[in-house]
Amino acid sequence: MRFLRQFLQLLLMNLAGFRQRLGPVLTILIGVTCAVGALVSMLAMGSGVRRQALGDARPDRVVFTSLEGQGSQGSIPREEAAAVRSLPGIRRGLQGQPIVVSQVILPLQARRRGTGKRTFYLLLGVSPGLTELVPELHLTDGRMFRPGLHELIASNACVRQFSDFGLGDKRDIHGNDWTVVGHFDSGQSQNCVVHTDDETLMAVFGRNTYSQVTALLHSPADFAALRAALQADPALHLEVRLEAEVIAAEFKEFTGLLNFISYFIGTIMALGAILGAVNSLYSIVDSRRRESATLRAIGFGPAPISAAVLCESILFALPGAVLGGILAWLFFDGMSTSPLGFTFQLSVTPRLAEIGIAWSLAIGLLGGLLPALRAARMPVSAALREV
Amino acid sequence: MKFLPLIWAGLWRKRGRTILNFLQVTVAFALFAVLQGVKTGAENAVAAARGDLLVVHDAQGFHPLPLGLLAAIKAVPGVQRAIPVEIFGATYQKPTQPLAVVAVTPEAGWERAFTFTVSPQQLAAFARTRTAALMSVEIAKRYGWHVGDHVPLLTSTPQMNGSTTWTFDIVGTYTDTDLGGNRIQILVSYPYVDEARFGGKGTTHHFNVAVADARQAVAVAERIDRRFANSAHETQTESLREMAQAQLQSIGDLNFLIRAIVSAVLVALLFATATSMIQSVRERLPEIAVLKTVGFTDWVVFLLILGEGLVVFVSAAAAGILLASAAFPFAAEFVRGISMPASMIVIGVASAALAGLLSAAIPALLSARLRVAAGLAGR
Repeated sequence: MRFLRQFLQLLLMNLAGFRQRLGPVLTILIGVTCAVGALVSMLAMGSGVRRQALGDARPDRVVFTSLEGQGSQGSIPREEAAAVRSLPGIRRGLQGQPIVVSQVILPLQARRRGTGKRTFYLLLGVSPGLTELVPELHLTDGRMFRPGLHELIASNACVRQFSDFGLGDKRDIHGNDWTVVGHFDSGQSQNCVVHTDDETLMAVFGRNTYSQVTALLHSPADFAALRAALQADPALHLEVRLEAEVIAAEFKEFTGLLNFISYFIGTIMALGAILGAVNSLYSIVDSRRRESATLRAIGFGPAPISAAVLCESILFALPGAVLGGILAWLFFDGMSTSPLGFTFQLSVTPRLAEIGIAWSLAIGLLGGLLPALRAARMPVSAALREV
Repeated sequence: MKFLPLIWAGLWRKRGRTILNFLQVTVAFALFAVLQGVKTGAENAVAAARGDLLVVHDAQGFHPLPLGLLAAIKAVPGVQRAIPVEIFGATYQKPTQPLAVVAVTPEAGWERAFTFTVSPQQLAAFARTRTAALMSVEIAKRYGWHVGDHVPLLTSTPQMNGSTTWTFDIVGTYTDTDLGGNRIQILVSYPYVDEARFGGKGTTHHFNVAVADARQAVAVAERIDRRFANSAHETQTESLREMAQAQLQSIGDLNFLIRAIVSAVLVALLFATATSMIQSVRERLPEIAVLKTVGFTDWVVFLLILGEGLVVFVSAAAAGILLASAAFPFAAEFVRGISMPASMIVIGVASAALAGLLSAAIPALLSARLRVAAGLAGR
C-alpha cells in the first residue's frame, strides 16, 4: 500500500517536470515512433496480401487439385473432373445440376499501361456454371462470353493495369483473335483475371486436362463427408481442400518472406530506439540526483523510485506507438504496391496496431530497466553532498 | 593534431553516454549497410547475367514450342548453338523437398549455351548414359546425393508405362555461374525424357541459344523473332540479362520502402544524438569556460565540439558497416550476390560525417557563444 502511494506520488512528480526535460523525452518518443512506424508499415504489406487473397474465400467453396501439381501446374483428366460432380455434399444450382466448375489455368503475357513492360495475367477456361460458383462476380460492363466464339471477360483490374483489355479489343492468343466482350468485378480482388470457356481454350492449346476443379458445398459442415468420399474412391487421384487453405498455401512463402524482412528491420530499429531511450533516461535520472536523494532521505524506498522510472519510460514510449501507427496508416494504408509481380494494397489492421503497441512497451521496458536500477542504487549521502 | 586529446577527453567525460551514442549510430548504419547490400546484390545479379545467352520462348509466356523450330533457329545467321530445354517440377521422397528437372540435349558443346560448368569426364558420362543426371552442388548438399546414386523422383509428368516416378542416375555435379538461376535442380537428357514421356512429345519449354558474336546478341534475337512472326508459334527471344532485369523491376517498389526506412532511422538518430550532445555540453559549461579563459577562441571551441560529433559518427558508422559486411557471407545463402561496393561505403561514411556535423551543430554553437563569466558561475 505504502509502495503504491509512494510510486504514484513519484510518478506524478516526475511527469509534472517533463517540460524541463523535453529533449530526452522527445528522443524516446521519436525513436519509438520511427521504429513502430517502420515495423507497422512493413507488416502492412503482408497483411495486405493476406486480406486481399483471403477476402473472397468462402468456407463452403472447395478446390480439387491433382496430387502432383497445383495451380496452373495441375493436371486432372476429364473423367476425373466429371466424376467430382457426383460426390456427396455438393450444392445444386437452379437447374438442379451440381455447382462444379472445371478450370484450365494458363499464365499469359500482357503489357503494362503506359510503360509497356511485360507481365503475366491468368487466363481461366471454365466449364459452365461460373456465376453460380462465384456469386460475387458481377459484370460491370458488356456481357458474358459465349462458348466457342473466342470471347473473353476481363476483371476491371486488367483494364486499369494493362493495355488492350477495353471492351471490343482484340487480343492475339496462340495465333487466334480473341475479343474482350465484358468487364467484371469479383469481390475484393485487385488482380487481373480473365475468363473464357474451357473447351475453346483447351482446343487452342491442345490440352486434354484441367488444372483444377472448384465446387460449392451445401454447407461448410459437408466438407468432412466429401473428403471421406473422395478418399474412398480409388478412381479419383485428387486432393480436396477449402478455398482459404489453398490460397493461404499459395501465399505462405511470399507472406513468410515479407514478415521475416519486416521483423528483421523492425528489430534492428527497435534496438536503436532502446539505446536512445536508455541514453535519455540515464540523463533524466542523473538530472534528478538531488531530488531523488532528498526523497530517499525523507523516507521513500528504492523500489517505488525505480518503479516510477520504469513506468515513466513506458509512458513516454506509448505515445510513440500511437503516433507511429497513425503515420503508417496515413502514408501507407490503401497504397497500391506490386513488389514481386502481383499487386495488392497495404492494409494497416487493428492487429498490426496491437503489435506496434507491444513493440513500444518492450522498447520502454528494456530502455527503462538499467536507468531504473541506477535511480534506486544512487548513494544518498554522496548525492546530497553535491548540493 | 594537438586538439585530438581534447576531443578524446571530451568524449570520455561521460563514458556511458558516449558508448550508447556510438552503439546507436552503429546499429543505424548496420541497417543501412544491410539494406544497401541487398539492393546492390540484386543489381550485381543483373550485371553478371549473361547478355550473350538467349532464351527463345513462346511469345505469350512459357507454353510448349514444337521441336520442329530447332532447325529454323539453327539456320538463323549468328546462331552458334541452339539447345531445346524442357523443365518440369518434381519432389524427392517428401512433398516438402521439391526440385526442378531440366532436360537438355547432350550433344557436343551443349554446355556453351548455358551458364553451367561441368568437368569433361562427367560431361562425357552425361552424354553416354540415357538416364544420366548432373546435380547442382547445392542440391547435392541439401538432399545428400552422391555421384552414382539412383534417385527416384515423383512428378506430374506420366511416362509411357503410366508411372509418374522418374529415376535418374547421378553421374556428376555442375556449378552455375548465373547469380539469379535456380539452384535446386538437376540436368537430364532431353531425348530420353521426350521418348519416355506419355504426353507432350516433340515439344519443348524453350530453346537456349548461344550466339557466335556477343555484340550481335540483340540483332540475332530480333532475327529469330522475325523468322517466326505471324506463324502459329510466334517467339520471344531475350537474353538472360534482360530476363534478370525484368525480375529486378518487379521488386522495384521495395526501393521506395527502403528509402523511407533509412530516412526514418536517420531522423530518429539525429534527434537522439543531438539532444544527448546538448545535454553533455550543458554539463561541461564550466570546463568550456575554463578553456576559453586560458585562451581558446570561440571558433576553436566550436570546432572541438563538432569534432566530437564527427569522431563518434564516423567511427560508429564504419563499425556498423564493417559488422554488416562481416555478416554478408552468411547472408549470401539467402540473398545471393549480397555485397557492399566501395562507393557505398564512401557514401555511408560521408553521410555519417554529415549527420555527425548536423547533430553537433547546436551544442557547438551553444559552447561558442558561451560567455566566460556565466560559464564559470555554472549558469
